[in-house]
Amino acid sequence: MNAILLILYAVAGAAYAVQFARRSFGTSRMATVLLVLAAFAHTFVIGMETMRLGHVPSASATSAISTFVWLLALSYLYVELTTGERAMGVFILPLLIALQTIPAFSPTLEPRSALLESPWFGVHVSSLLFAYASFALAAVLGITYVLQFKEIKAKHLGFFYARLPSLNVLDDMNLRAVKIGWLFLTVGLITGGIWASQLQPSGAMSFGDPKVFVALLCWAVYSFELYAQRAIGWRGRRAAWLSAVGFGIVLLNFVPVSYFFTTSHQF
Amino acid sequence: MQLLLVGVSHRTAPVELRERLDFSAKGVDRALTALAESPSHHETTVVSTCNRVELYVCCDDTDFARTAIERFLSDFHGIPSDQLTPHLYAKTGHDAVTHLFRVASGLDSLVMGEPQVLGQVKEAFGLASRLGCTGTLLNKLFHSAFAVGKRVRSETALSEGAVSVSYAAVALAKKIFGNLKGRTVLVLGAGEMGKLTAIHMQAQGIGRLIIASRTATHAATLADSIGGSAIPWTSLNTALAEADILITATGASAPIVSHALIAQTMKTRRQRPLFIIDIAVPRDVEASAGELEEVFLYNIDDLQTVVQENLSKRGTEASEAEKIVSEEVGKFLGWLNSRGAVPTVVALRHRFESIRQAELRRLEPKLAPLSPDARARVDEITRLIVEKLLINPTEQLKSISDADTVAAYSDALNRLFGLTSDESAEDVTLTIAGPARPAKKPVP
Repeated sequence: MNAILLILYAVAGAAYAVQFARRSFGTSRMATVLLVLAAFAHTFVIGMETMRLGHVPSASATSAISTFVWLLALSYLYVELTTGERAMGVFILPLLIALQTIPAFSPTLEPRSALLESPWFGVHVSSLLFAYASFALAAVLGITYVLQFKEIKAKHLGFFYARLPSLNVLDDMNLRAVKIGWLFLTVGLITGGIWASQLQPSGAMSFGDPKVFVALLCWAVYSFELYAQRAIGWRGRRAAWLSAVGFGIVLLNFVPVSYFFTTSHQF
Repeated sequence: MQLLLVGVSHRTAPVELRERLDFSAKGVDRALTALAESPSHHETTVVSTCNRVELYVCCDDTDFARTAIERFLSDFHGIPSDQLTPHLYAKTGHDAVTHLFRVASGLDSLVMGEPQVLGQVKEAFGLASRLGCTGTLLNKLFHSAFAVGKRVRSETALSEGAVSVSYAAVALAKKIFGNLKGRTVLVLGAGEMGKLTAIHMQAQGIGRLIIASRTATHAATLADSIGGSAIPWTSLNTALAEADILITATGASAPIVSHALIAQTMKTRRQRPLFIIDIAVPRDVEASAGELEEVFLYNIDDLQTVVQENLSKRGTEASEAEKIVSEEVGKFLGWLNSRGAVPTVVALRHRFESIRQAELRRLEPKLAPLSPDARARVDEITRLIVEKLLINPTEQLKSISDADTVAAYSDALNRLFGLTSDESAEDVTLTIAGPARPAKKPVP
């Protein structure tokens, strides 16, 4: 199932690349249609899994990634359809495809455990996945901001200049994505804490786990970005860099930490 | 019916002649009314802009119509024909269609891909159409031209990128700030270039325009004429802190805006981006100011480079646009040629119908005893037979898009059915009605 989704995303990705390079209206619309199809199929797959398991599939690192890909695709589509800006697709799709390869090639069984029946678990995991999807968008917006900024500053108005929205729009969208992400990250961390304390009143699991530690680090980075923007006018390029760095940490948490370092906290 | 175009453009005539030929001063409607009285052609549209004056007409005899139009141009504008004729071009059929399509898509403009021309062509056609000077051919021709213009704009980048310094400045400002609504623009110097760029910025709906000049009265005059507020030179620092866009265009011989001044300003601005357009020669702003973070500094040379790049990009897009034009010309000519078959089709139908009527009249005495119901049935049956016989030839004729084939088929039909000759209907009735008779079975 996940392999088929990978193919669908790959086809949509190719269409986004073509429309970005050639900027023709026909391929632009086709790219969107293909991505909508992929996201629709993904919704179906996740819906089936949810019915089977009784909760959103996210209790193993692999299924959490698939759910994250799904959320990111939906969030991106929301942004594209509301703003009419397609240029970011060419940056988001490679990320979707790269992450989707993990569930496509290593299907794992979703562990069923009484631990996961708690409503806190659902809120915790889905808030965090949604926060990460927002941060992914923010990072892409940040990277495109920097690319465009460099072209304008260097007075070399080339490839990106002709294709990307204005710096101001990218900056605004970046901050909005960070704000939404930060909110969900905060909710996710708090519910995670409550859930953990219900399971193990000693709280022993929490802070020693690398995954929790890195998540808190993310929270610090994004909190600083929001604070710096308000207090010392760090908008534009600095905010863009912070978004990119923040999402770098998110990715680190998501893939290598989940698979190799953590013991108790696989998702 | 033939399409004919007679005109001058910036490619064939100097500006003095184009000015004298420009209809807009004397009234395009007057010209159209005068042209409508001429017997040399049927439909007319006059496209008159500062770069071209073109008359599109439909006529039967192109040579005759061409001479008439040349005489009209010379009389209407009072230009001796020996001064006018060498600059005129005349195109017919394929060439005329191609020409209009290229004009509408901006390929024939002075500035390649310039977008206003499509609107001007639309206006010209609209006027002619309101005055009842256009018919089937020109209606279809101009609507196709609008479609071509639109296609070229949406499928190629022919009209993209600013091609004048002030537009390039506006385009850059939009890439930095997005919407310019509510932005503050500060202009230093009251010269022509600064004024022009400020006017372009104002057209984007900027919030505030501040003008400062060393000579306070100059600033006040400019502020009055284009709508802005003049400030004394001494309050430059405060204005800089507020501005999003700074346009410098003074005649100063040395830079008046230093790196240090901008650096100081950026601190008060809390790093809000500042776009500096230095269009003065010699430059007004120290080049090193452009190295400051969040400062975008473009001087006149930078903007001219942008314009040059855009122009060469348009040049490469032109071949794509030409492809679209020739594709659409093909489609239009296909339609036009298939229309060539229309008179033949009409004549053929007319002939068949008259045969039917004649036969019914001839059989009148025999049909008289029949009940009205039965007579109606006979009428219906014969009508259906004629219809059915004509369906295929009509469709075939209308589907041919190649002019020679249309002519050959029309010619054959004319001869076979004697469509053009004035022979008596009775003779034809006999020859045609004979073999057709076995088909007169009751219609199921």
